[in-house]
Amino acid sequence: MNMPAPTSHTLYWNQLPVPFHPGETIAAVLSRGGIRQWGDAVGGLQARYFCGIGNCQACLVCVDGASPVEACLTPAQDGMRLTPALAASDVVWSAR
Amino acid sequence: MTTQPEVLIVGAGPAGLAAAVELASHCVTSLLVEQRDQVGGAIYRRHVGTGSVTLVMPEHHRRRRDGLMQGLTDAGERVTRWMQSVLLGVDRDGRFLIDNRRLGRVQSVRPKAVILAVGSVEQVSPREGWELPGVVTVGGLQVQFKETGRTPTGPILLAGSGPLLLALAAQLAAAGNPPQAVLEHAQPLASMWWQGHAVVQALRSWPQLQEAALYARELWRARVPYLMGWQVASVQAKGAGLLVTGQHHSGLRRQFQVQHLGLHDGLRPNTTGLPAAGQTDAACIVFAGDCREVLGAGAAVDDGRKAAQQVMRYLGHALADDLRLDQAIATARRTQSALAELFQAPSNMPSANTVVCRCEGLQRADFDRLQAAGSARELRLVGRFGMGACQGRYCAGAVSALAREHGVVFDPGALHGDTPRWPLRPVALTALAAYADDDVVSS
Repeated sequence: MNMPAPTSHTLYWNQLPVPFHPGETIAAVLSRGGIRQWGDAVGGLQARYFCGIGNCQACLVCVDGASPVEACLTPAQDGMRLTPALAASDVVWSAR
Repeated sequence: MTTQPEVLIVGAGPAGLAAAVELASHCVTSLLVEQRDQVGGAIYRRHVGTGSVTLVMPEHHRRRRDGLMQGLTDAGERVTRWMQSVLLGVDRDGRFLIDNRRLGRVQSVRPKAVILAVGSVEQVSPREGWELPGVVTVGGLQVQFKETGRTPTGPILLAGSGPLLLALAAQLAAAGNPPQAVLEHAQPLASMWWQGHAVVQALRSWPQLQEAALYARELWRARVPYLMGWQVASVQAKGAGLLVTGQHHSGLRRQFQVQHLGLHDGLRPNTTGLPAAGQTDAACIVFAGDCREVLGAGAAVDDGRKAAQQVMRYLGHALADDLRLDQAIATARRTQSALAELFQAPSNMPSANTVVCRCEGLQRADFDRLQAAGSARELRLVGRFGMGACQGRYCAGAVSALAREHGVVFDPGALHGDTPRWPLRPVALTALAAYADDDVVSS
């Protein structure tokens, strides 16, 4: 895999450091890093990348513990700490 | 505050940019609201990785993009830009509520004239396993490829229907990771035989022909199998990848072990939750580009200019009709409808355990259990179809088709309901709390 040098920009998926190029979206950074299951989603599904243009809402993640945003729209920033949008307890009500 | 912009434009893709540039050239100021940190939309997504990347793309696209970017530079302060800002909805007083994520607060604009240029939504029909991570839209694959300049790692399969499959396959092939195959559900070559008039209409567009030839040459060079009459029957997670079962209309099956599956069944205007187009004494709302009619990036530029002219007339500027724009749009329409005929694919009904609603994981079987649901409203409120975060963008077509089988007939748009649901996008409570009643009002 062709990754940027480790001295360059880094964000964190849970605790895992992931390097990126400035200007890339969070979704592109995670995808290139081979991370594509972005936590639990409603209905027993997984949060994941799908439409790439903010329409499907499947790629929501939390940045630094704040409210969820679309990973496909949000630019990566140095030191960002990304976590799944929903805690497992949030999705229990609709589990089949 | 200084003078307010006269026109609100939502979306900085080809149509929105063209509208802003056209307005500025007549000294009309605008506020351009864009959800990303870059202008250009999906079609002109900028490469931000290292090194240079040559995207297989016809020259006329490049020229148009460069023209718009230059126009935007020349427009200078006549175009105010709010980047990383998403439209949340319109309130009953006609306030456009915008989540300015760069500032971390919701702002409102009460414009006299609005141009909505929010592009299209890819249509993807439900197939077993299409909700799995690694299954993405062809457009979604393409924007990431444009942005990073790198193809996804590992084997790729593209499936569905339409010219976009060819475009991405060619671009991936030229970048060194050709797809294992392209499964085209329609039979465009066979259609050419018995739909001669469609071929003739498509042939009348020289740029389209050039584009098709460009892609075909790339696919031929990389020996990418273009399998017509094939579709994806199911997708299963297997190890870290996906096991895709393809099926020919004859019943023949073939399996593909891949990392990425790109799906695309066409495009339709992105209108969910938006106010209707129209003109009153109080306000004028115009749709431009693919969100008015899906005609592609070239026509979107013409349509954006046309929308800008319409808005200027509303604002009292004396402008003659620009017939060249109408002609260019009509030409694009002719080409698109010919292509649609060539790529006409039979529709498929999802199997019982196929996820129909991606937001809530509802399956065909869940739909069938709702025997009593007699309307779009009941399907939404009782069955929760179309109730999820995408507001029905990706399930409304399939739900409407399933309902029709049960004798309940409604337009896919009806699943969303009559009252726009607010907000259209996730918004932080802190951003809402930071809202101040300081409308940006245009005169």
